[in-house]
Amino acid sequence: MPLISLNKIYKIYNVGGEEVRALDGIDLNINENEYLAIMGPSGSGKSTLMNMIGCLDTPTSGDYEFENEVVQVMDDAQLASIRNRKIGFVFQTFNLLPKATAQHNVEIPLVYANVRKEQRAKMALGALDSVGLSDRSHHRPNELSGGQRQRVAIARALVNNPSIILADEPTGNLDSKSGQEIMQILDELHNKGNTIILVTHEDNIAQHANRIIRLFDGKIIEDLEKK
Amino acid sequence: MILLVIENLKISLAAVFANKTRSILTALGIIIGILSVTLMGTLISGLDRSFENSMSWLGKDILYISRYEWFSDMEWWEVRNRPRILPDYVDKIKERSQYAQAVAPVMQRGASLSYKEKETRTEIFGTNEEYMETINTNIMLGRFFTRNEDRSGSRVTVIGDGIRKAFFGDQDPIGKYIKIDDMKFRVIGVLEKQGKFLGFFSVDKQAILPLGAYKRIFSRRGWMRLSVKIPSEKMEEGLDEVISVMRHIRGLKPNENNDFAINQTKAFEKQYTTLKLAIGGTGLFITLLSLVVGGIGIMNIMFVSVKERTREIGIRKAIGATNAMIMGQFLMEAVIICLFAGMVGISLAYFFSFFINKFFPSTLPLGLSMFAMLMSMIVGVISGFIPSYRAAKLDPIDSLRYE
Repeated sequence: MPLISLNKIYKIYNVGGEEVRALDGIDLNINENEYLAIMGPSGSGKSTLMNMIGCLDTPTSGDYEFENEVVQVMDDAQLASIRNRKIGFVFQTFNLLPKATAQHNVEIPLVYANVRKEQRAKMALGALDSVGLSDRSHHRPNELSGGQRQRVAIARALVNNPSIILADEPTGNLDSKSGQEIMQILDELHNKGNTIILVTHEDNIAQHANRIIRLFDGKIIEDLEKK
Repeated sequence: MILLVIENLKISLAAVFANKTRSILTALGIIIGILSVTLMGTLISGLDRSFENSMSWLGKDILYISRYEWFSDMEWWEVRNRPRILPDYVDKIKERSQYAQAVAPVMQRGASLSYKEKETRTEIFGTNEEYMETINTNIMLGRFFTRNEDRSGSRVTVIGDGIRKAFFGDQDPIGKYIKIDDMKFRVIGVLEKQGKFLGFFSVDKQAILPLGAYKRIFSRRGWMRLSVKIPSEKMEEGLDEVISVMRHIRGLKPNENNDFAINQTKAFEKQYTTLKLAIGGTGLFITLLSLVVGGIGIMNIMFVSVKERTREIGIRKAIGATNAMIMGQFLMEAVIICLFAGMVGISLAYFFSFFINKFFPSTLPLGLSMFAMLMSMIVGVISGFIPSYRAAKLDPIDSLRYE
């Protein structure tokens, strides 16, 4: 039974009377503990696909099941709940709250999950520890390096024990050394049994994954599994 | 749920304090609104109390007969030619009226009072022995003068408590002689402490003399009014009867208008209600105006706040905030600004009420403060609603891309 199952997913925009098919009939199954890379040139629909998988967006038509729950019929609150409990996002631009400390940033998903204060602090510190930042918990993002910020973001993605981690160009804003560190962390998370979906246009980053799909004009044109 | 409210409270407080100057400027309209509504309320409650005191001094069951209406739009020349009220009306009214329980003629003028080297300028009243029944004050020391003292022109006087304090301090004033415009009068009684009448003239600084002595010494021809006491449950009938008695005394024909006036405290009440409505209406107008303007200011600043934090909204939504939570966060911010403004407004009003207190005994009513806080909260909710709703409805994907 796949963790994620996309069937004939279409996302169609109307731009100035012209129909744009951002996703053009996507069929995709992702299993537990897969390490998947989504590749493609810009405009190929990989961001739209990631937003779709991340429940930030709903398809124009098609069927999306996340752990056997039908996503396309959900309302805003249900989508928010799925994002909160089942999905951990890692963004290219980190997207931390600038005025909050590292620990507070990591705690925010727990706030929305209604976790008590003491428990929150414990879980957040645990997550920060797992990315090697336990000594930076009271620093604000502007007091951290790019690599450290991305690690805080990973800790935030991890803290709710999500079913999948969605990383959108996680190394895109980092120097190569920090980028390697981040990829190392993602590899470790995969080895511990996490399911990771990576969006990238860099081949060497995609090589970390076990399965690579390539998008072009909203269609999957290649689905390659490494053995 | 509680956790979320606390979290939203923290976020909002942080947002408000991060932009202190902006928050204060934004709150100004609300501050003025709340200040004006609470000050107005304080003023009215103070007026109410002082009015009630003053009215009880006048007495609700008294008809005041004189040449002039207290509050009238008649021209002065219409009233000028009315005949005087004469002292012998007292007996005529008592003779013919069954409702009149007491009739006191009252003449009044300014005079200077002195005792040894102390001197003060005040109002003196000349009246008869029934006067005490027509006022709501008691004798505190000594006694009032008698009918005989009045008829014989005895130079005795009953003074207000203020005069007693000023002249005699702790000494016993009874039997002492004071000078009224250089004429010696013996003090035979002191009235209870009363306070100011409508906040203007101190009732405690008066001296009451028998009309006989008053007329002989001061003037035969001042204007006189009559105070007629009627049983309070018979006011309507009493009024009708006194009018007809007066018409009879004056020998008026049925088609002639009254050439005298009969005043009641009701006239004051009517006048006072008008005044109160005017104060209340003006205050309410200022309040509403500044609350509306203030509310629009808050709405405006909330739009700015939502715009500035679009990306934050995107992040929060991506990691699990529902629309309702985002909405709550921004509503809370607007409400906090308004509550803060309300508190400042009330504190200012509290401060100003000390000055009002110098004129009217007044304090800021607690209920009004609570009402003002409630009102600030409502303004916060109303003006924060549209910006918060817009924040809640933002698309997470677009917001995350917002620079």
